[in-house]
Amino acid sequence: MTTPLVDMRNIRISFGGVHAVDDVSVDLYPGEVVGLLGHNGAGKSTLIKILSGAYQADSGEIWINGEKAEIHNPRDARRYNIETIYQTLALADNLDAASNLFLGRELVTGLGMVDDDAMEAECRKIMGRLNPNFQKFSEPVSALSGGQRQSVAIARAVYFDAKILIMDEPTAALGPHETQMVAELIQQLKAQGIGIFLISHDIHDVMDLCDRASVMKNGKLVGTVDVDKVTDDDLLGMIILGKHPGKGASEGSGEKSN
Amino acid sequence: MNIIKTAVAAVAGAVISTAALAADLTVGVSWSNFQEERWKTDEAAIKAALDAAGAKYISADAQSSSSKQLSDIESLIAQGADALIILAQDAQAIGPAVQAAADEGVPVVGYDRLIEDPRAFYLTFDNVEVGRMQARAVFEAMPKGRYVMIKGSPTDPNADFLRGGQQEVLQAAIDKGDIEIVGEAYTDGWLPANAQRNMEQILTATDNGVDAVVASNDGTAGGVVAALTAQGMEGIPVSGQDGDHAALNRVAKGHQTVSVWKDARELGKAAGEIAVALAGGTAMADVDGAGSWTSPGGTEMTAKFLAPVPITKDNLSVVVDAGWISKDALCQGVSGGPAPCN
Amino acid sequence: MAQSDTDLPQAAKKSLFQSLELDTRMLGMIGAFVVLCLGFDFLTEGRFLTPRNIFNLTIQTVSVAIMATGMVFVIVTRHIDLSVGALLATCSAIMAMTQTAILPDLLGFGLEHPATAWITILVGLIAGTVIGAFHGWLIGYLTIPAFIVTLGGLLVWRNVAWYLTSGQTIGPLDSTFQKFGGISGTLGTTWSWIFGVIATLFAIWALWNSRRNKIKHGFEVKPIWAEGVLAGIISVAILGFVAILNAYEIPTRRLARMFEDKGEVMPDGFTAAYGLPVSVLLLIAVAVGMTIIARRTRFGRYIFATGGNPDAAELSGINTRLLTVKIFALMGALCAISAVVASARLANHSNDIGTLDELRVIAAAVIGGTALAGGSGTIYGAILGALIMQSLQSGMAMVGVDAPLQNIVVGTVLVAAVLIDIIYRKRTGAK
Repeated sequence: MTTPLVDMRNIRISFGGVHAVDDVSVDLYPGEVVGLLGHNGAGKSTLIKILSGAYQADSGEIWINGEKAEIHNPRDARRYNIETIYQTLALADNLDAASNLFLGRELVTGLGMVDDDAMEAECRKIMGRLNPNFQKFSEPVSALSGGQRQSVAIARAVYFDAKILIMDEPTAALGPHETQMVAELIQQLKAQGIGIFLISHDIHDVMDLCDRASVMKNGKLVGTVDVDKVTDDDLLGMIILGKHPGKGASEGSGEKSN
Repeated sequence: MNIIKTAVAAVAGAVISTAALAADLTVGVSWSNFQEERWKTDEAAIKAALDAAGAKYISADAQSSSSKQLSDIESLIAQGADALIILAQDAQAIGPAVQAAADEGVPVVGYDRLIEDPRAFYLTFDNVEVGRMQARAVFEAMPKGRYVMIKGSPTDPNADFLRGGQQEVLQAAIDKGDIEIVGEAYTDGWLPANAQRNMEQILTATDNGVDAVVASNDGTAGGVVAALTAQGMEGIPVSGQDGDHAALNRVAKGHQTVSVWKDARELGKAAGEIAVALAGGTAMADVDGAGSWTSPGGTEMTAKFLAPVPITKDNLSVVVDAGWISKDALCQGVSGGPAPCN
Repeated sequence: MAQSDTDLPQAAKKSLFQSLELDTRMLGMIGAFVVLCLGFDFLTEGRFLTPRNIFNLTIQTVSVAIMATGMVFVIVTRHIDLSVGALLATCSAIMAMTQTAILPDLLGFGLEHPATAWITILVGLIAGTVIGAFHGWLIGYLTIPAFIVTLGGLLVWRNVAWYLTSGQTIGPLDSTFQKFGGISGTLGTTWSWIFGVIATLFAIWALWNSRRNKIKHGFEVKPIWAEGVLAGIISVAILGFVAILNAYEIPTRRLARMFEDKGEVMPDGFTAAYGLPVSVLLLIAVAVGMTIIARRTRFGRYIFATGGNPDAAELSGINTRLLTVKIFALMGALCAISAVVASARLANHSNDIGTLDELRVIAAAVIGGTALAGGSGTIYGAILGALIMQSLQSGMAMVGVDAPLQNIVVGTVLVAAVLIDIIYRKRTGAK
């Protein structure tokens, strides 16, 4: 049995008395896409923010590639090659694409000055691969379309050699053509052995894109299932009623038996 | 052809006459804060004196900022002032400005407020005498009792001159034990609101045990009287200076004992005349009425002092007759009052 | 269409003017400034644009302009600082007391000792930075809104200064210290020209270096003639400015005194010009330094990122709380530098020094294009804004406009400038 890329064990976090994440365990293997499903407020974004370093869990452990990981802030997460594409994209609207690409890890010259020209060159290279029609390199990203902003956010994750990619509602604001592009990208990344956590509220997207799905309700994990062993209705039942279907074995550990 | 000739002549005439006007003197006045009511009277007097001498008047308002006053004076010099009249916001910080004027050979008249610099001609009313007059009038009304001294702005040297004069008159009685000073405070910026607040604190601290207040000007006296009125104590002797209309009205009503009147028109007229004389090349010592005087800071200065007039209920007609205040304004709200209100 | 990795996407062809790649907003501001100056020059019959008045204008602008550069960073990160004038007063008070009372007591030397001015300035800088950092800590770590912290600061530091000096005006100040004030410390003709030439050479080198970098990465560069035109404009501007300052001659009386001070006699017919004041040199140094920080350091990049999207900045691993402390500490240091210039100019510390400066500084930054919503602003814009405000006030004073009217005009210009900025942003499609 291979070591999971990411193994989050018994994660708990509360905000002011509300158990946002209550003893949840999920895992992720290289080359697979695990979907995270659930209502608004189920705790999926919070769980994933713990992995990306934006929050710190009150208790529980995170194991990466078989070793215990200490993730206290976004920089630590990046060191473990965890990259996140947030729902809001987390782009600084007043900066251009290259600056956003390198935000927090700018390229510097020998004197320690920010090297805008080098960053722009790298940005052109990667955008050339992801979105060849992209031209607006000197404009602030606020001037870009939704899809273009999305590609900048994706480029940021891809450029830095993510091994673990978190995508929070990546297709929520996209049209069908752009959604297709994202789907192709995900296939490419899977083929490279990258593990992806995909948060979505759209059951069809999850059925199409994911290998497994973990469903959360009210902070608790309802269960983790193989996507090709369940139906839409099963998933719906898990999300709305919290009912774990009898069939549908799940790989890996962390499932609570009730 | 005729039209062209006329036009050329007109233009030439205009050019020549402006050239002639330009040969006249320009006197620049730097006000520290034109917002206070009193300075408009001074300005009118200065302008009148300058008009009579054929000189041009330019001015700037520093709006209570020493930094701005420096910029103002630089600007006045740049506009070609031949002499400056300066009402200093800060006696010390005005130094660089006087320096700049001296460098350009522009004479300076220190107007009403002391400028500690021998190159400035000090023109003022005898402020020590003003202090004495204030204290005398209050002392006459209340030879024994508990006194409060409400002083002027701590950055204005005049405040200390006044206090010195007041102390001279009261010293004997203080030594004898007839008079006890139960409260004393500077008034930041001479602001009446600050004087009122300070007076209220003193009244509270002494449990209203106050018999007379020596206030250093009418603005602060106004604040003092407001504080006293709130405690039902209006009518105890209070002094002031400037001859503010509100203060003269208070004297008529009996709420203020004296307002030492310095006819600002006299001061302005003298300033204008002296500025023109200095600009014309007269030496400071040769100015009519000028004498040598040593400032408290030890600076040897050339100065001219004008004589103030204490206005009490006994001589209110003086200000009415001099055209300083109208009888209606003086006697507003006064019933059964002193002449000329009865 | 196949594209290799080395074949980078190119931009469209540009017009002649666009080839110069000048910032249109900056051009607009410079244009407004020029119109203003010409207008006043006409109204004052040529007295506004004399070397003397231009000289005066530059030294009057320095202290507000220095603080305005710091305010840009504060406003970009969606904060505000209402306490800069009060902080200036406290730094000025501390420095005045240091040189007149503390140093003589503590170390036995005071005014006119060669080390006094430098120790004093160091003490002032430390005071300003510490107080600024304290503000930043309250705002960043304790999350008290900047408006409140600096409003409290406005009250506190103004009166700390009052308390420290007992409301007295303190002076005279050390003569080396006074050199930073403006007219008391100028470089003289020769050194001003040397500075002008060095500055021009540096500017041209910077242009050339930037072009070289772009070529290295294969980016499009301006045509050579455009670079030449830009270099020409910059050279003329710098050298022209130096020439104007060198045209302001020192009055004979003052020259004679300067010789007397040295124990010499002034030769007949000797003339000398003021040249570049040290305070303006200081402003230029601050401007260059702040621009480098803003554009070419990570610190500057993080400032703009945090202003644009604080959440994005946090998620990118930027420590926004520490950033806030640094920004306000920098603001405090700049207030201290301005305090040196302001008190040196007055040759005294006075209780009212710096009063209402916060309004002028904020107005300068905003007129210069810094958006109150955060995320955008330039250093040169703030300095231009300060220049525009000062020329407006000086010009009106020269023309003889009443004081209340002057203030009304300045207030109106402030609102109008922001309105124009908003319209401009909408037109160009920026946020």
